[in-house]
Amino acid sequence: MNHDITTILASAMRLTAPLLFAGLGEYIAERAGTLNISVEAMMLSGAYGGAVGSSVCHSAAIGLLWGIGAGLLVGIIHGQFSHRLQANTFVVGLTLNVLALGITNYLLEKIQMTPRQVGILTIPGLSRIPIIGKPLFSERWPFFLLYGLVPLVWWVVQRSRWGLEMRVVGENPKAADVTGIHVNRRRRQGLVICGLLAGLGGAYLSVGEVGTFNSDMTAGRGFIVIAAVIFGGWTLRGLAAGCFIFGGVDALRLALPALGYTINPQLLIASPYLLALIAMCFFAKRLRQPAALGQPFERGAA
Amino acid sequence: MSTVLPAPRATAPAGAAGDGSGVQPRGQWWTSPRFKTILLYVVSIAVGFGLSAVLVAVTHGSPSKVFTAMFDGSVRSWGSLGYTLDNMAPLLIVAAGTIVTVRAGFFNIGQEGQLTIGAMCAAFVALKVHPSGPLVLILALLAGTAGGAIWAGIVALLKFWRGVDVVISSLLLIFVAGQLLSYALSSPTFLQEHGSGGATLTESDQLSSKVQLPHIGQYPNFNFGTGLIIAVAVAVLLGTIATRTTWGYRLKVLGFNPVVARRIGVSAVLFGGAAIVISGACAGLAGSIMLTGQAYRITPTFSNNFGWNGLLVALVSRNRPAVAVPVAFLFGALQAGGGFLETTGVPTDLVNIVEALLVLAAVFPPALMALRRYRLKRSEQAVAAAEAS
Amino acid sequence: MEAGQRPEEPRSSAAPALEARSLTKRYGAVLACDSVDLSVRRGEIHAILGQNGAGKTTLMNMFLGLARPDSGEIFLHGRAVSIADPARAASLGLAMVHQHFSLVGPLPVWENLTLGEAGRIDKRRTVTRIREVASRYTLDVDPLAVVDDLTTGQRQRVEIVKCLMKDPEVFILDEPTSVLTARESIELFRVLRQVVRQEERAVILISHKLDEVLHATDRVSIMRQGRLVAERPTSGMSAQELARQMIGHDVSLRQVATAVGHLQVQPTEDSDATGPGASAPGGTTEQTTAGPPERSEIALSIRDATARGLDGRLLLDGLSLEVRRGEILGLAGVEGNGQKALGDLLSSVLTLDSGSVEVGGKSVDLKQPGSMGRSGVGVIPEDRRQSGCVLDMSVAENLMLCDFASVSSRGFVNHRRMLKEAARLVTDFDIVAPLLDAPLRSLSGGNQQRVVLARELSRSPDVLVAAQPTFGLDVAAVEYMGKRLREAARSGVAVLLISTELEEILDLADRIAVIHRGKIVGEMSRREADLERIGMMMGGQAA
Repeated sequence: MNHDITTILASAMRLTAPLLFAGLGEYIAERAGTLNISVEAMMLSGAYGGAVGSSVCHSAAIGLLWGIGAGLLVGIIHGQFSHRLQANTFVVGLTLNVLALGITNYLLEKIQMTPRQVGILTIPGLSRIPIIGKPLFSERWPFFLLYGLVPLVWWVVQRSRWGLEMRVVGENPKAADVTGIHVNRRRRQGLVICGLLAGLGGAYLSVGEVGTFNSDMTAGRGFIVIAAVIFGGWTLRGLAAGCFIFGGVDALRLALPALGYTINPQLLIASPYLLALIAMCFFAKRLRQPAALGQPFERGAA
Repeated sequence: MSTVLPAPRATAPAGAAGDGSGVQPRGQWWTSPRFKTILLYVVSIAVGFGLSAVLVAVTHGSPSKVFTAMFDGSVRSWGSLGYTLDNMAPLLIVAAGTIVTVRAGFFNIGQEGQLTIGAMCAAFVALKVHPSGPLVLILALLAGTAGGAIWAGIVALLKFWRGVDVVISSLLLIFVAGQLLSYALSSPTFLQEHGSGGATLTESDQLSSKVQLPHIGQYPNFNFGTGLIIAVAVAVLLGTIATRTTWGYRLKVLGFNPVVARRIGVSAVLFGGAAIVISGACAGLAGSIMLTGQAYRITPTFSNNFGWNGLLVALVSRNRPAVAVPVAFLFGALQAGGGFLETTGVPTDLVNIVEALLVLAAVFPPALMALRRYRLKRSEQAVAAAEAS
Repeated sequence: MEAGQRPEEPRSSAAPALEARSLTKRYGAVLACDSVDLSVRRGEIHAILGQNGAGKTTLMNMFLGLARPDSGEIFLHGRAVSIADPARAASLGLAMVHQHFSLVGPLPVWENLTLGEAGRIDKRRTVTRIREVASRYTLDVDPLAVVDDLTTGQRQRVEIVKCLMKDPEVFILDEPTSVLTARESIELFRVLRQVVRQEERAVILISHKLDEVLHATDRVSIMRQGRLVAERPTSGMSAQELARQMIGHDVSLRQVATAVGHLQVQPTEDSDATGPGASAPGGTTEQTTAGPPERSEIALSIRDATARGLDGRLLLDGLSLEVRRGEILGLAGVEGNGQKALGDLLSSVLTLDSGSVEVGGKSVDLKQPGSMGRSGVGVIPEDRRQSGCVLDMSVAENLMLCDFASVSSRGFVNHRRMLKEAARLVTDFDIVAPLLDAPLRSLSGGNQQRVVLARELSRSPDVLVAAQPTFGLDVAAVEYMGKRLREAARSGVAVLLISTELEEILDLADRIAVIHRGKIVGEMSRREADLERIGMMMGGQAA
């Protein structure tokens, strides 16, 4: 029984990790006011970049860097089109998704590669804790970055000046503008960071978990990430909880049939989105979306 | 608490009438803004194609062969032209519905899901209602339209009852719709194919020929599905309503300025809600046409991005119904050309790449011009602000 | 705390803290400030009193670096300074507490207050600084509270602390009590008194409220039409005198001088000849208002209207008003006393918490969009760009905005008919619009306003509400507007003219009412109109 729980927990952790990496990025972007739907593109590019990089440089670690770079590139492109040229951010995001899928599939067929996988890191002692020891402390080593990244993101958003300005840009861009904060520049920065983190999440998927790149590897995880940010009410705690719940539900979905239980698999797959919707409906007072979310900003416009 | 409406949208939605240039002073035609605009578009699109060519070349392909294949597959022969038109039909319908919503000032991006639900409802009626016949076909189409409308109705309900952002709810519902389809396909009571036991995902039964949308003409000669006729009819109908009727004018006011709209008696709930529901209905209809006109059975990945692409058609054509027709044709051609690409050994994904690059290319010029206009307006406003104080 | 570049030499206590000499600023044809000499001493609360458009805002803008003077000089503690931009003003120690707050709601107070600064965020230090400043002035401000949870009074206190933290020499407040309750106002003045006394700073208080000026300030400078017309210690002044100075005697020809009882009124003159053309020397003959028949029926009746805004503020406070057919009722008042809310109410954009509106004796359901329009109320709104017209739609479409059905047959808009109707209105109302299909944006401000006027009048309303109709218009346009309003009244429309321009009201109105803090504080006919009385009512004193 305990073993089953441990296995499921471990599976949940593995499924949560890419979501959480990307979720941290999307959280930052949305707090700054951009409803970024190109997370899928960022993650997929990151996954592909990771695989290609690890193959070309014969090192999984460098592959991770390539993955981060790929996500970064997507973020830069999105930022330039959306918050410098003021093109419709949904068009750009959607298009980037299509582009990323197309390019990665195309290159997958054209370019041979032998990706590497990162090694598993087991923390002695801690990993011996019953039930939760292995899932939390014996994972592929990039997983442990999360332990540092989550507090780092918290600190940056809540405690640093840059983070304060980002939050103001997402709540009240006019007030921010009057204070001298460059609204669109902050939003671009938010997107770039989102690309970086989502790219890392995607790379974790290919180079960390699976060990190779498959067509459409992320399979909509980018949208689950968006659901997680919404479900978490645009807070970091909520985001982490959301990612873990969604990862856990996915793990359950995979594990339950083997254990003899049958829950409608489609319901489980749809649960992130349903949960996010329900959260938006009924906890509207507590879930405050950044007031300027999704609204483009032009100084002096009305 | 009294109701005080929010300030009207700061920027006019894309596709607003003109840019206030009014009467032009006579000058050289090559310096006129219009020419510069066209030039910008041409250059952008050329860059888009160019980048795709580079991609092909870099991966040891032949750009000329690729583009020729795409051309062959889409418009070279009568047969492929028909195929293009078949692809165009659902795109056009989705785009028409989207344009209506955007004019009202709301941004529904859930067409992919509404399309799926529509197709499901149509499939249900087509497969389960006996005896088959043309009447059932019509019923199926209506059921699909209704299904899409209801799915979008959820979005409207959530917005006006709970204040949930239209973008968010429509997006999330796409994936819920996908799972509903998957469920229906795994359940014999709903849509699962007869004769396959087990819980694996399958497709549905094939529609009997009596409930298939008839084709006009015969491959490899020029032929197209009657779906196209429906699509054009819907597009013309909605386009006319949006641009010519009083309802359409009032809708336009709502999109530009909700405060003024309320003054003249336009209820945001009624008009906005109706617009959202209409776009869902259109997506549902598009799905039904895809089902009864081309696919004849429903599969887990049925929607095949037609919802997303329809949305893109609307956005690229800047919410002008007349422009949406050729843009939908172009997208349809790309899809059709992609099918042909397989034969040359080039992955069909290239088509998606070309499409994405073209969309970016189409979005770039207006964005650039808007930026220039905005910078100009800012300097004017600085002067005006000084005068007003 | 960075003090910036302040005049370093020893401060002579004789030199005023802030002084302006011959400060002039012109915006195009408008002379906003005409050789203003202002002198604000240290340790005093100095009031600047004046109507809208008197030049107070422009003067402050020059002090704050938001506008450059065309000529004249500014002195800080006796030393000439040049204030090029807001940063320079801040470094010189000139700070303003904004009327419309610039705080970000979901953030706590301390984050808001550290927003403009640079460098690392130090929560503890910021919170300590806030508590320090707050306690020094006995201001009740909680640095950890979230701004959204604060009342308006509390928010203003935060704004004041924000200002004080910059350690200003001169502290400017622009109509601060317009959003406060009586008790909060008293509290505010206590703080200001402490600010000036304890640290010898100077406070400039811009206000239109006479009792405030009389009781809470030391000296008052009165501005009128860009000029500083008087500067006195307030202790010797009375409300009447303040009002008189604020409104002035040397008014333009347009003013109906009979209202003040100055000009000779011929005994044979009946109410027909009360226009300026009749008696003003050399004046142009103008159309005159016949005046309504003695007791025509009531067209618009508002009873006890009470409404609160989204932030809980009271917008309308039991406002009751009646307008009769054929009369022009001029509603005077300083901006921000409920005029916008009233306009919104009559446009079906605002719903009431309590109270009722009747048009022609029939009650109007305020919850229905467009109900006012349907009941026959036409509105020329205060902010035409925001709520009067749709700038991105064509001229013709804007003209037909309220009633597309009238140019439609069977639901289809007949474009040609629309153009024809539009062309007719364009000629009738002298609108300069060469291309009827061009967006309204392309028209000048005056023409845009005429479009709104044309649209509303063409529907033969029973009631016409004109809110600040001549704001931002040139002289010709203003005259035209006046002419049309008089015509409308003559033809039996009940006209409600809401304006902050007293001259305009005195020129056009048959009856005058004054709005203050969301309710009507007094009414009189034009013949009874007494500028002092009106001035006092506008200043909040019942007269």
